[in-house]
Amino acid sequence: MTILTVALKYLRGRLVASTLTAVSIALGVSLVVASVLLARGIKEGFIAGATDYNLVVGAKGSPTQLVLSVVFRMDLATPNIGYTTYRDLQEDPRVEKAVPIGIGDAYRGFRYVATDSAYFASLPWRRKTFALAAGRFFADDPPSDPTYEALLGAEAARSTGLQIGDRFYEGEEMAEYPLTVVGILRPTQSADDRAIFFSLSSYWGMNEVARAMAVKPLTAVLVRPKRMSDLPSLHRTLNVAAETQAVLPSGVLLTIFNMLAVAEDVLKVILVIVGVIVLLYVFVSMYSATMERRREIATMRALGARRATVLGIVLTESAALATMGGVGGIVGGHAVAYLAGSLLGSSGLVTNPFFFDVAEPAVLASVVLLGTLAGLLPAVLAYRTEVAENLAPLS
Amino acid sequence: MRRCLSLPRVTRRLVAGLLITVAPTVLFAGTEEIPLLTFAQLVDSIRADLEVTEKIKSYRGKEVAIQGFIVPAGPPDLSFFLLSRVSALGNYCCEAPVGQDETVYVSTEKPVNITYDPLRIFKIVGVFEAGMRADATYGPSLFRVRNARVEEALGAKIFRTGDFPAPASKP
Repeated sequence: MTILTVALKYLRGRLVASTLTAVSIALGVSLVVASVLLARGIKEGFIAGATDYNLVVGAKGSPTQLVLSVVFRMDLATPNIGYTTYRDLQEDPRVEKAVPIGIGDAYRGFRYVATDSAYFASLPWRRKTFALAAGRFFADDPPSDPTYEALLGAEAARSTGLQIGDRFYEGEEMAEYPLTVVGILRPTQSADDRAIFFSLSSYWGMNEVARAMAVKPLTAVLVRPKRMSDLPSLHRTLNVAAETQAVLPSGVLLTIFNMLAVAEDVLKVILVIVGVIVLLYVFVSMYSATMERRREIATMRALGARRATVLGIVLTESAALATMGGVGGIVGGHAVAYLAGSLLGSSGLVTNPFFFDVAEPAVLASVVLLGTLAGLLPAVLAYRTEVAENLAPLS
Repeated sequence: MRRCLSLPRVTRRLVAGLLITVAPTVLFAGTEEIPLLTFAQLVDSIRADLEVTEKIKSYRGKEVAIQGFIVPAGPPDLSFFLLSRVSALGNYCCEAPVGQDETVYVSTEKPVNITYDPLRIFKIVGVFEAGMRADATYGPSLFRVRNARVEEALGAKIFRTGDFPAPASKP
C-alpha cells in the first residue's frame, strides 16, 4: 500500500468530514476566482463596448450619464440638444465625422436608438463593424416622410422573436406609429446588440412634441476630429457653450475604473479573510482527524511504519483535499462568473464568461500548497505520536 | 568555528559603507540618462513649414521623458492617448486649448495601471518620434512617443512657451 492509497482510504473513511472540507475549500476558491473573473470581465466589457468616436456631445449634465446612456444604454437619456448642434459640428473644419443620436423609449426593455446610416459605416479608423444577419439597413428618410423602419440588434431580435416584416410597438400612444422590422444585425459584442435602431425622421415623427418643433431634438452627437490634437479645443469649445457638454468617453470609463479599483481593493481584503478562514477550517479538520486516529497511527507505527510515512500520509490527505477543493473551486468560480455575466448582460454590459486567466494554474498550485501547509501541524503531531502511550488499554 | 566564518567587524562596516555609497548610483544610473523634454522645447522646435529642428530630430528613436496631462482620446485601456500641456478638463480656466505643437501622441505596449486623473500631471517615458506622419487610426501627428511607460509625476511643473530658460538636454 502506498502513502497515497492509505491517505485516500482515510479520506473515504470519514467521507462526510472530507467532503465538507473539500467543499469549503471549493467555495472559498470559487469566490476568489469568480470575483477576479467578474472584475476583469466588467472592465473588459466596458473596453470592448466603448465607442470608436472620441467625443460625445450632449446636453449639460452628468458626463457619466451621457456616456452610459448613449454608448452603453445603461442609464436614462440626458435632456435633448438641438439638431443645429449636429449641423454646426458637421460644418466645423476640425470635425471629420459627426453622427446624430436620439435615445427613445424601449420595446420589451430594448432601447430605441435613432440615428442615420453614418452610425453603421465602416471606416478605416473604426474597430467596430456592422454586418447584416438578415434584411437591410433602414432608409435615411426625409423628416416629411418617415418610414418607421427598424433594424434590430442581434440580442434584441433573439429575445423578442421579431422577424423581418413584423410590425411592433409598445404603449398605447405608439399604436399609430408601429415600426416594421427591415433588418437584423449580426452580434457585435456590445450594447448595440440590445438596441432597436431606426431613422431620426421616424424618431421625430413618433412624438407629438417633436413633430411640432422647428428645431428637431437630439440626445447626442458622436464626433471624430480630423486631427486628434484638435480634440482638446473641440472639447473646450463645446463645454464653454451654454447648452452643450462634450465628454471624452474613455475619460468617463477611466473614472469608473478608478471607482471599481477601490471596490476591488476592499474585495481583496475580504478574499484574504475568506482564505484564512478556509485554511483554518482545513487545519481544524485535519487536526481533529489526527487526534481521533492516534491509536491507529500508534498501531501502524508498532507494525513497522516509519515516522516519515505517517507524516506523509497526513500531508497527502491535506494535499488531496486541497486539490479537490481547488479544482472544484476553479470550475465553480467559472460557473458563478458565467451566471453573473448573463445577469449583467441583461443590464447592457457584455462580459466574457469564458475568459481563462493565465494565473489560474498558479492559484491552484497555491491552494494545494497552502492546504498542505494547513495539514503540517497535524502531520507533525502524527509524526510525534508515541506508540506506548497511545496503545495503552482504554479502560 | 562560528568566529572563524564571520567577517571581521571592520570588513563588515567597509562593505556596508560601500553598499550605501554605490547602490543608489547603480540603481538610478539608467534613469539619469533619459532626457526630459518639455512642451516649450517642442513648440520652439517647429518651423513655419511644420518641419522640426535638427536638435529635436536628434532625439528620434531614443528614449525620452515628457510630462503633461493625459487626454484619453483613444480606447479606455490607454493603449493610445494624447499628452497635452493643458488639462482636457480645465473648461473654465484662462488657458487656451493647445494644438498639434503642444500635443504628443502616446502609444503603449504594456497595460497602463494608473489612477487616471485629468487634473494630474503624468510622466511618460518611451521612444520619441518627431515629424509629420499620418496614421490610419489616429490621423496626422507631429510628435509621438511609442512603447511608453506611464507614471505619476509628483510636484511636476508644466512650463509655458518661453518660460523655460534652460537649454535642451543633451541627446
